[in-house]
Amino acid sequence: MSAHNRGTELDLSWISKIQVNHPAVLRRAEQIQARRTVKKEWQAAWLLKAVTFIDLTTLSGDDTSSNIQRLCYKAKYPIREDLLKALNMYDKGITTAAVCVYPARVCDTVKALKAAGCNIPVASVATGFPAGQTHLKTRLEEIRLAVEDGATEIDVVINRSLVLTGQWEGSDFIKTSTGKETVNATFPVAIVMLRAIRDFFWKTGNKIGFKPAGGIRSAKDSLAWLSLVKEELGDEWLKPELFRIGASTLLSDIERQIYHHVTGRYAAYHDLPMS
Amino acid sequence: RLTTLRGPRERVVINRASLLLIPFPNCLYLPQAWLDTQDRCLGHYVNGKWLKPEHRNSVPCQDPITGENLASCLQAQAEDVAAAVEAARTAFKSWSAHPGVVRAQHLVRLAKVIQKHQRLLWTLESLVTGRAVREVRDGDVQLAQQLLHYHAIQASTQEEALAGWEPMGVIGLILPPTFSFLEMMWRICPALAVGCTVVALVPPASPTPLLLAQLSGELGPFPGILNVISGPASLVPVLASQPGIQKVAFCGALEEGRALRRTLAGECAELGLALGTESLLLLTDTADVDSAVEGVVDAAWSDRGPGGLRLLIQESVWDEAMRRLQERMGRLRSGRGLDGAVDMGARGAAACDLVQRFVREAQSQGAQVFQAGDVPSEHPFYPPTLVSNLPPASPCARAEVPWPVVVASPFRTAKEALALANGTPRGGSASVWSERLGQALELGYGLQVGTVWINAHGLRDPSVPTGGCKESGCSWHGGPDGLYEYLRPSGTPARLSCLSKNLNYDTFGLAVPSTLPAGPEIGPSPAPPYGLFVGGRFQAPGARSSRPIQDSSGNLHGYVAEGGAKDIRGAVEAAHQAFPGWAGQSPGARAALLWALAAALERRKSTLASRLERQGVELKAAEAEVELSARRLRAWGARAQAQGHTLQVKDLWARGRAGQVGWGGAQTRGCEMSQAWGPAATPGRGLHFNMRFAWDIQTLSWAKPYFFLSFLETESRSVAQAGVQWRDLGSLQAPPPRFMPFSCPRLPTNFLFFLFFFIFSRDGISPC
Repeated sequence: MSAHNRGTELDLSWISKIQVNHPAVLRRAEQIQARRTVKKEWQAAWLLKAVTFIDLTTLSGDDTSSNIQRLCYKAKYPIREDLLKALNMYDKGITTAAVCVYPARVCDTVKALKAAGCNIPVASVATGFPAGQTHLKTRLEEIRLAVEDGATEIDVVINRSLVLTGQWEGSDFIKTSTGKETVNATFPVAIVMLRAIRDFFWKTGNKIGFKPAGGIRSAKDSLAWLSLVKEELGDEWLKPELFRIGASTLLSDIERQIYHHVTGRYAAYHDLPMS
Repeated sequence: RLTTLRGPRERVVINRASLLLIPFPNCLYLPQAWLDTQDRCLGHYVNGKWLKPEHRNSVPCQDPITGENLASCLQAQAEDVAAAVEAARTAFKSWSAHPGVVRAQHLVRLAKVIQKHQRLLWTLESLVTGRAVREVRDGDVQLAQQLLHYHAIQASTQEEALAGWEPMGVIGLILPPTFSFLEMMWRICPALAVGCTVVALVPPASPTPLLLAQLSGELGPFPGILNVISGPASLVPVLASQPGIQKVAFCGALEEGRALRRTLAGECAELGLALGTESLLLLTDTADVDSAVEGVVDAAWSDRGPGGLRLLIQESVWDEAMRRLQERMGRLRSGRGLDGAVDMGARGAAACDLVQRFVREAQSQGAQVFQAGDVPSEHPFYPPTLVSNLPPASPCARAEVPWPVVVASPFRTAKEALALANGTPRGGSASVWSERLGQALELGYGLQVGTVWINAHGLRDPSVPTGGCKESGCSWHGGPDGLYEYLRPSGTPARLSCLSKNLNYDTFGLAVPSTLPAGPEIGPSPAPPYGLFVGGRFQAPGARSSRPIQDSSGNLHGYVAEGGAKDIRGAVEAAHQAFPGWAGQSPGARAALLWALAAALERRKSTLASRLERQGVELKAAEAEVELSARRLRAWGARAQAQGHTLQVKDLWARGRAGQVGWGGAQTRGCEMSQAWGPAATPGRGLHFNMRFAWDIQTLSWAKPYFFLSFLETESRSVAQAGVQWRDLGSLQAPPPRFMPFSCPRLPTNFLFFLFFFIFSRDGISPC
């Protein structure tokens, strides 16, 4: 995590002055996916980079310590060892950026990560995830408990009724959505959010992080997200402290692409370890 | 922290802080293999065959970046041009005789062939022009296919939708050295669709048009409809004056266009000009600045637009806009066009020299120059360049902005923005960025340019006509307007050369001949008023001299005033002065005046017919002519009332929901379009209207004044100078939906030497 957002005086004129032209943003979103085509070694390098941004996530009602353990192992060894060796990246400590679970599973996660011998941060969704429509008191308590259990990052669902009625909250990171909505991370929305992050940085000097979550499943998508952040915010945002991708199935597709890059064949599902 | 990654072949560095973007060279195999099929020697493609005449000079076709010789291109000579025109004339006979449906099928087949060979097309185009392959692949090639499909549909409904119009004949197409093959597609598609055939003269070393011609020629039954010859600019007059060429479509630089206009004065070929490349962007303080910055990138730094950009920024957002612009420039990437991850390619040494000279001069004139981006340092790459603080009166501020330069200047109010934007002889395209509907429309309407986009830049769609005004030319591409460029009313006699070859431009209109009395006049009594009709009254000619007019039997009919250059100037001035008042009239008032004029003609029908009769015209024909003149006036009067402005909305909310919005006036393009396409064919295309429609409106075909001045002389002779145009009236057809080269009614005064002025605008005609 980057330095905390020190906050600033709420100046609603910033918000009222913002103009967003929807069709123009849509066009930009379309362009960004076509303008930066990386192939071959460069694609492999970008994919490995993308791995380091992943918040490897499981947010299922039936999560138990066993699948959490599997997930943590995957977070520590995201790409099959022999593939990394072939790329000469084995000893570079490539792990996912964090593991993201429900508060009740934080304890298991911390334990599993410790067992795997790594210090990958544990992120927990909290505060009545995914709707955020619970009492402030229980929401705060939820955060406190998750932190007590060892979570170092909390994905807070703000009470959106407050936003819709113009009562704003601040944060270190902003996330496109919970990942549980029907429509989650889309490029047009991300463009608007990234531009807001840049404007906030220019006005206050605070760097706010960005996390698209939900619906990012293919390696190609992840590359587009990387180039979007690189284009709109610049290289300084392309680090795990300021950019995360919330995803559960993305990692296996990236691994598949790397497998193909190394071996020249596409992997069968049984060729790669489960997460 | 640096970590290294050893790939199978190369060592790659991943910088943890910054991801390098490393070029990926697309496969060069295809274009090279195609060039090999021609033994690396490209000739011309005429009548479905490669034409490689002997004893011709050849010009090397080079990779603009490495300078590597790709092939040699034979330069055409006059006889090659003649052969191509002959082939096109022969092909015209069968091509135009086929029903539109057959032509439609052929165009669709051509689109499919392009689809099948698109990889060859885009790699070749990018290799030779240096433009970013992404733009060619995702933009040009796709649009080329859409153009063919759109015009195929137009061709298939031609008999009904364009009844009363016939194809002109053989079209000569002249393209500039730096053009994308799309420019060619915009012109050949409508021409072929309506039944014309084409001879394209392309500059040497442009293989893509030849490839297109080959693809078209190998389709089979109509090999001669598209012929491409490559040759030097000196062949332009040769092509233009070939017998059988009915129209010359030219796109290129202003000076060349001007020279061509002069060459073709009085020749039979009509001329359509599209000149210059500069564009304009107006950024107001209510705009989405980030999106507007992307608009600037689209216009100047993405290999989409052909030229540079003049950028007008409202003073209150100047700092913010400049900061964002500079920030964005830093992320642009330039490199070899075939690299899939570049924004901008290179366009060869000539373009690079041009921009270097411009920037150097701008600096010496006091401008600030900002350059950024990831650009290879070697020639001929040139970085994205932002020029500001250029003194308004400096020569660079007046000159055309070259690619890839953006010249930014501030404005304070909307009024000032319009004054600055319109204070240039060029009138190509412009975009207005504002989230306020009223402001955007006001600025859009006020801009004297051919094409205006609102909150977008450079959108092209086959169904949307685009064009220019002022010095940017007067031809239209796309949509129904593009079709009319290659049509004429059925039954119009072919144009003949009508200019005396010994006309001396240097003295024309200055040395007015004086005539001696030549006997008694036998003209009508009372004699018609003497003088030139300028500014609403008869006045004596500047030179105070007269010209004798003879009737059909050779007797002296009378004397008319002899006009000179000064009279022309005075008349143009009068027309200019009259324009604002006339344009400000309501369409109804303009229509009423035209109808009144028609009624006046009809009242004097017998007098006018008898005058014509005296000229040797049969009485019946003379009466028909007067009647026709009156009918024409009525038809245009009705058009003045029906024709409102047309807004076209494209991609309003999401892709695939394109629709048109008619704006004012019953006969809107929106209605026409939905009829032409039919709701079943394109379910997504319909009328989408939303209060926020100003968000992405492409507005086109504004009411722009076209100045044509007509000299009517004894032999229906036209004098082509300063855009003089004369058309014989040959048809009773209803006028097209926009202003077409106007068939000037042969007013029954054609035995007088008379000077007329017309101002044509979209909304009407003003005899002043």
